[in-house]
Amino acid sequence: MFLLGYSKEARKRRDQLATGVIVALAGFILLVLASLLIYICVQGISAINWEFLSQFPRESMTKGGILPAIVGTLYLALGSMVISIPLGFGAAIYLSEYAKQGPLVSVIRLGVANLAGVPSVVFGLFGLSLFVTTFGFGRSLLSGCLTLGLLTLPTVTAAAEEALRQTPGSFREAALALGANRFQAIRQVILPAALPGMLTGAILALGRAAGETAPISLTSATAYSPSLPDSPFNEAMALTTHIYNLATNGANIAGTRPQQFGTSLVLMAIVLGLSLAAVILRARLRRSRKW
Amino acid sequence: MVAEQNGFEAAPNGQGGGAGQGDGAGQGGDAGQGGEVIIKADNVSFFYGQFQALKNISVDIMADEVTAFIGPSGCGKSTFLKLLNRMHDFVPGTRLAGEIQIRGTSIYGPEADPVDIRRRVGMVFQRPNPFPKSIYDNICYGPRLVGVNRKADLDQVVERALKAAALWDDVKDKLGKSALDLSGGQQQRVCIARALALEPEILLMDEPTSALDPIATSKVEDWIRGAGMSIVIVTHNMQQAARISDRTAFFYMGQLIEFGPTLELFTSPKEERTENYITGRFG
Repeated sequence: MFLLGYSKEARKRRDQLATGVIVALAGFILLVLASLLIYICVQGISAINWEFLSQFPRESMTKGGILPAIVGTLYLALGSMVISIPLGFGAAIYLSEYAKQGPLVSVIRLGVANLAGVPSVVFGLFGLSLFVTTFGFGRSLLSGCLTLGLLTLPTVTAAAEEALRQTPGSFREAALALGANRFQAIRQVILPAALPGMLTGAILALGRAAGETAPISLTSATAYSPSLPDSPFNEAMALTTHIYNLATNGANIAGTRPQQFGTSLVLMAIVLGLSLAAVILRARLRRSRKW
Repeated sequence: MVAEQNGFEAAPNGQGGGAGQGDGAGQGGDAGQGGEVIIKADNVSFFYGQFQALKNISVDIMADEVTAFIGPSGCGKSTFLKLLNRMHDFVPGTRLAGEIQIRGTSIYGPEADPVDIRRRVGMVFQRPNPFPKSIYDNICYGPRLVGVNRKADLDQVVERALKAAALWDDVKDKLGKSALDLSGGQQQRVCIARALALEPEILLMDEPTSALDPIATSKVEDWIRGAGMSIVIVTHNMQQAARISDRTAFFYMGQLIEFGPTLELFTSPKEERTENYITGRFG
């Protein structure tokens, strides 16, 4: 009896305490995130106007806009996805559907996971020596997209493989039992079912590609460009390297603070916008799937 | 002991027909001496790696009858069922010895085409597993794989298959809706219709009602009883086997212990292990 009464009170207190701690932690994270966003908004909003978004930089980048950097970042982010989505999805399909599970596949999987942890500047050096120099693509959008494509490949692959493995085995069985061959089962049943999850990885990768600085400053970015890139072999400006340049070796570091934060704000808006578009796409794909 | 199983079949055929499965007996037109053997397994053993899951199974399954496989969990009944449409092909490390024929043609021989076999031998699984597509597209999946693409043909296939699965009246006004919006029992009948759309010669059912409620179960059972086609059903429910099957096979520890007309197997089993199982002493 006494045990019952005691534990009831103590349990209740412990539960309240645990709930309190968890809520406090979650609140703290939200607070940090919100203050970061608010800070950047407050600092940067004064720089944002139509001219800032639609003009080229002027007067050693202390005036004018950031149009070429916006365009360059969009090209780089989307271009890198053109590389990493087919390769990553292909590798994921191979690993989860075709490869004979064994030591080799485990090693590949481990390698993919480790690749995701390699610092991006290392990818940048790799891209510089392989694409820029050896392949002779020069410092160009193409080199930057290829480098960012490789950089995001592990994220895309790992997420896609996980999504494929979570697809109910019963779909595969059903398709095969109806006379589908392996490829048909994958293409018509497994892939459509796994696609929303596979896109989640691509969304993360897209955000990362847009936000990288070191790889593109080594392979494709230029500090200033008087025109928009019209070929994959052009150099291009990018938002991240633009922020870096303004903040570290610009003509007027302190005076261009609003532009620096304004550019950051635009970068965040682009990343959020791209992610939002992908999330909406995923939601549409997912709508009819409950299992 | 196993080799003698065939002996049970010829004699008690009259009784099998009288076991209350009136529709099943409709195939009596064939010949006086029982129907045609549609599946013949000869001395079949099956291994998962080192583990022997099936030991020297020999059995003749008759056309146009409902054959039930019963036995405790892990007895090999599902494993044997899945051999009949080569569903183990995708499981690495498995090995088969012995011979399985469908209408006299070996299904594991060098000329056998597994895809073709799976079209001829349909399968319904333990849990309803419709694709996350519309009812219509679920039914059309198999026919489209063999190249049926004309809308008019597909419409006809869908109507015929759904009528055959006794689901047409329930869903004819919502063929475009997701099959996943249906109840569990209806989903399972979509799966039956999806298998029937390929007009298989045999339908394999792996505990098709184990995930269904009693009402949905009885609808599926009604369908099986009236289907008038060759059906092999695995069930852990002995009453179900007794209700719907013409013949029953009792599996235990990878062996086929007894096979005979359902009524006979349940009323006067020849083997002690069969009797222990059907009277609930183990399993």
